[in-house]
Amino acid sequence: MGKVVGIDLGTTNSLVAYVDGGRPVVIRDEGGDALVPSVVSLGEDATIFVGREAQRRLLTAPSRSVYSVKRFMGRGIDDVRGDAALLPFRVSGEPGGVVRIGVADREFTPPEISAFVLRELKHRAEEHFREQGEFDFEVDRAVITVPAYFNDAQRTATRDAGRLAGLEVLRIINEPTAASLAYGLDTRNRGTIAVYDLGGGTFDISILKVEDGVFQVLSTNGDTHLGGDDIDRLLVEMVLADLAGSASPGAAEGRIPAEGGPARAKGRGAGAAEHLGAGAGGPAAAGFGGPAIEAIRRAVIQAKWDLSDVEETEIHVEPSPAVPAGYRRRITRADFERIIHPLVDRTMDPCRQALADAGLQPKDIDEAVLVGGSTRIPLVRRMVEELFGRTPHSELNPDEVVALGAAVQADILVSGRREMLLLDVTPLSLGIETMGGVVSKIILRNSTIPASGREMFTTGVDNQTGVDIHVLQGERELAADCRSLSHLHLRGIPPMVAGLPRIEVRFQIDANGILSVAARELRTGIEQTIEVKPSYGLTDQEVERMLIESFEHAEADFEARLLIDARNEAESVVHATEKVLRRLDLDGAGSGAFEPGERERINSALIGLKAVMAGTSRETIHDWTHALNHVTQRLAEVTMNRTVREALAGRNVKDV
Amino acid sequence: MTGDPIPVRASSTLECRNCGAGAPVDEHFCPQCSRILALGRHGDYFSFFGLPRKLVIDPADLERRFRDLSRKFHPDYFYNASPTERLASLERSSYLNDAYRALKNPVSRVEHLLAIEGLPPAKSEDPSTGSGLGGGKVPPSLLEEVFALNEELDEIRELRESGADPDKLRARLEKARAPIDARRDEHEQQLQALSARWDSQQGAPPAEKRATLDALRERLLERNYINNLLATIEREVASLAGSGQPATGSHG
Repeated sequence: MGKVVGIDLGTTNSLVAYVDGGRPVVIRDEGGDALVPSVVSLGEDATIFVGREAQRRLLTAPSRSVYSVKRFMGRGIDDVRGDAALLPFRVSGEPGGVVRIGVADREFTPPEISAFVLRELKHRAEEHFREQGEFDFEVDRAVITVPAYFNDAQRTATRDAGRLAGLEVLRIINEPTAASLAYGLDTRNRGTIAVYDLGGGTFDISILKVEDGVFQVLSTNGDTHLGGDDIDRLLVEMVLADLAGSASPGAAEGRIPAEGGPARAKGRGAGAAEHLGAGAGGPAAAGFGGPAIEAIRRAVIQAKWDLSDVEETEIHVEPSPAVPAGYRRRITRADFERIIHPLVDRTMDPCRQALADAGLQPKDIDEAVLVGGSTRIPLVRRMVEELFGRTPHSELNPDEVVALGAAVQADILVSGRREMLLLDVTPLSLGIETMGGVVSKIILRNSTIPASGREMFTTGVDNQTGVDIHVLQGERELAADCRSLSHLHLRGIPPMVAGLPRIEVRFQIDANGILSVAARELRTGIEQTIEVKPSYGLTDQEVERMLIESFEHAEADFEARLLIDARNEAESVVHATEKVLRRLDLDGAGSGAFEPGERERINSALIGLKAVMAGTSRETIHDWTHALNHVTQRLAEVTMNRTVREALAGRNVKDV
Repeated sequence: MTGDPIPVRASSTLECRNCGAGAPVDEHFCPQCSRILALGRHGDYFSFFGLPRKLVIDPADLERRFRDLSRKFHPDYFYNASPTERLASLERSSYLNDAYRALKNPVSRVEHLLAIEGLPPAKSEDPSTGSGLGGGKVPPSLLEEVFALNEELDEIRELRESGADPDKLRARLEKARAPIDARRDEHEQQLQALSARWDSQQGAPPAEKRATLDALRERLLERNYINNLLATIEREVASLAGSGQPATGSHG
């Protein structure tokens, strides 16, 4: 068995953590960075870039780069039009089907894009374990977190992404609950806790009761479409409005996405914009494509970060081909807070609802915990503090705490340690459509999971052998207002008089919050076959097919990695050889340092290797590297001895 | 635990799918090989928790039992077990969660008792299809209040539509609500008294016990009706807020 990790698959950043000697730790890169930007970019030669490199490519190759894909997980095209408007990549899909994301000439589903991010995290973890000298460094299992308010389709899409990345998904757990596990390790061991989680793209509030190591979620609420991304978007729209306004007022309308109306109005009032250069109109304002939006987005994100620490800063976009005139504007924290206040205010109602569902008042909350990068914003902290009447906790890094908790849960699952137990709830009620399009609820929201429910069905026509059932998730009364999860087709009902069959359909929500369905005709005891057609997910067959394709690609990816390794090795041999030759020349060693013909052999091997290095044949590069190594062997030994002698020369024998 | 007898059904044995040993229906683990048992057709939440079939329950005790059983059944701890055990863990955990939810709330606890004692469910008809104000047939004991409230609500609706001061109407609604609230408090007390009577009747003749159950069911029906009335008043208050106050939108 390989290693087990916990993964926080975020809208903007993702992290991987594991439990080391009983303590969870996040895995960092050489630079100490734990965050892997959830950005995927397709190279011109079909190489897949993930993370920082992909993020850099957002500026240089925006049409080949994808970010914020979490917003599209388990969703249909109709749900995401608003998001798609400001994102520089193509988003398409049939109405009522899975969203497809176009990157260059290829199309991916959101789980496939997320799988690239997960593969990168898996790779990062494996490199880490390898460096630690672990014999078995393969990572094959993971706990992956999702927003608590994710519905069944979104959870299933996340699980599919894990499978596509070659991971056995041990468990899908909710981000706020994961955070509470990480906090629960060293804080109080009993009490009522509110976890406020405002991330890059989603908002969750969970109320938990902790006692005897049991973390029981009492209620949860949230908004899967509210986060730091939205804050950035308001600021981007403000800048775009400024830029457009400065060009020609008549042209402004078309460039600002329809949803940006209120933001634009606020942006105008928030302060005076100043443009670099006099001729700010013309090309700069004539439509802003991906690179412009990306450059502006970076500038506003920097300003947002600044304003968590200072009272005033500047949004500064350097002049570039995308924004030829550049952009500059001072913004105070007060301006910023005025702009984002409506967004932060949208988190308050879910908090109140969660309290009401738990049967609690704000004063009943013993601790409030902040999770997610957006909780660094002072306004957010202030509003949470006002609501719960206490200073919220933020001792643990709000970016890392969810991954730490996921690692703890992964450890619980595989180690069998029982001192902690997480009892989560299903965030949304589950029901089926009945006569007149009304939803009959079968499992109520905030039910502790696993949870089950059953419903009896019969036939309406004599000798009817099939029944169709529409499964929905949501709190509204009408099916049209709830989330369609799937259509079940019951088959193989024994022919009987109408109304006589008694078909029991059993709905089971597992500990991942994911639904499964079983059905049985009670009179005959015949198990019904159920075809499940997910409304916004992938069928098992589709996942299988993608898995096979990804294996094929994985082979190509693996080849690509080997080629890169071969090139790197060749480069270092060339470099070392040239260095030695230069050194000998500088020393004036002349031909005396070489055996007859040696210098010529080295030169031709060097030229040969340099010629093939840029090629794509790993074998050829390898052969020439080997050849150069071979002809420089004697020289290397001589040089080595000399280096050692020199190194020792100045030292006392005792020190060696 | 008290020594009260827990009614045991005749065919109440489970068969361990691991070692084949038989086990009483309320066992969770096989007495012979100690593996988790498949749930079977369990129906009694009280006995599942190891509790007598009584209505007065100490919430802290119930919660402690829930946590203890969660620690025994939860799928987290059966990750490496056989598929049969994993399924049993999933079923038992789901059932435990349902059982806890039902017993935690005093009203759903009574509903569950009525169900396992073989009484028809005490659910009033769907309010949206019912002809009466609160939905379903008006319980005779509530006729007077219902008529009074009906008239008052009709008047308030008319006044609202003709643009009367929402604050005044709100005050009238509050006043109309008072007698209904009083009836609900009265019902809570009656439910408590009947619950205590049921608990003291464990050894009583079946006819006496049945009378208590019938009375409990009657109270529940009325209670549902009262709640529907209160919900109707709430809706009326909400529509006042919608029409009388400026839309609450935060402007930056």
